[in-house]
Amino acid sequence: MKTTTLFLSALLLAVPLAIVTTADDDYEKREMYQKYQPMNNTSGRLDDDTKAEDRYKREKSNRCGAYGNRSMRALQKHEALFRNECGSCHMAYQPEFLPKRSWKKMMATLEDHFKTDATMDPEDHKKIEAFLIANASDSGTPNSRREAYREISRSIPPGSTPLSISKTYKFKKEHREIPIRLIRQKEVKSIANCAACHRKAEQGYYGERDLIIPNYGRWDD
Amino acid sequence: MMKWISFIIIFRFYSLTAQAAPVDEYLRQLASEAKQDDPSFSSFDAMRGEKIFTSTHVGKRGKRVSCTSCHGKNLQVDGENIFTGKRIAPLSPKANPKRLSKIKNMKKWLRRNFKDVYNRDGTAREKGDVLLYIMNK
Repeated sequence: MKTTTLFLSALLLAVPLAIVTTADDDYEKREMYQKYQPMNNTSGRLDDDTKAEDRYKREKSNRCGAYGNRSMRALQKHEALFRNECGSCHMAYQPEFLPKRSWKKMMATLEDHFKTDATMDPEDHKKIEAFLIANASDSGTPNSRREAYREISRSIPPGSTPLSISKTYKFKKEHREIPIRLIRQKEVKSIANCAACHRKAEQGYYGERDLIIPNYGRWDD
Repeated sequence: MMKWISFIIIFRFYSLTAQAAPVDEYLRQLASEAKQDDPSFSSFDAMRGEKIFTSTHVGKRGKRVSCTSCHGKNLQVDGENIFTGKRIAPLSPKANPKRLSKIKNMKKWLRRNFKDVYNRDGTAREKGDVLLYIMNK
């Protein structure tokens, strides 16, 4: 009798708790699930991006290994939070593009974030800042993503603290030939809308293979 | 021992049933704030909320905008951020059950978006009115 009641009460305790936790972590789990799905490869062959993706994942798990399992989970959770918070109004730009000082300034000026209020809960603020700084262009060990964005991050002079990737020298140079009408058109709106043309920008790939400008087509240099 | 266990069971059931929807809980908080601001406050009004949501104002960017500029007039379909082009999931909880499901998120977006559209903080009454409007759309 006693054991049955104990068991019952344990069950009753556990069930509502489980409901609450799943509801809370729902988006985080989904994000992670999406993130670690292999990318769609329509051509059926292993292209450069897929190789690059594999390499980046390997490096990421190596890096996490150095931190231990607990910090790895924490870091991944922060990534989900970063994608959810920053990605609700614009693409969640890869932190590897800009140096630590840029991300610090960004997080200190969220009240006027590109003329929008982007303030957040202090706890989330701390976590996102930690995530951005840990993944900035000038922190951590070199990896393929930092390597891929190196030309942009290295074109930032030591004395400047850009808040826009699009204000860097290399970015401007790469985009200077694109007619303004193609940028201002309603399908794109602004040069900051990477994913409008770079179809794999969200996943971190900006190669010409996946570059299609709306109402224009492929862009060849 | 048995007393203790039944206490736990009752408590769990109580906390389950007493878990009011977060939006109702937040509306209660806002109502008591509104009453502090103005003792003659009686209740929130979705009609006032509609006006708050659809009227245009010079916002933080110095441009005339309304909430509908990005969220659209039909809250059951997607909106689009007019500045970045990013898709915005439907605001109506009828079309998107995640909406108004967390007090933290309601506070965050009301704080940000009143600044964006009105270039000032919203009052407790305004926030309650507009929440009531969104709930029923």
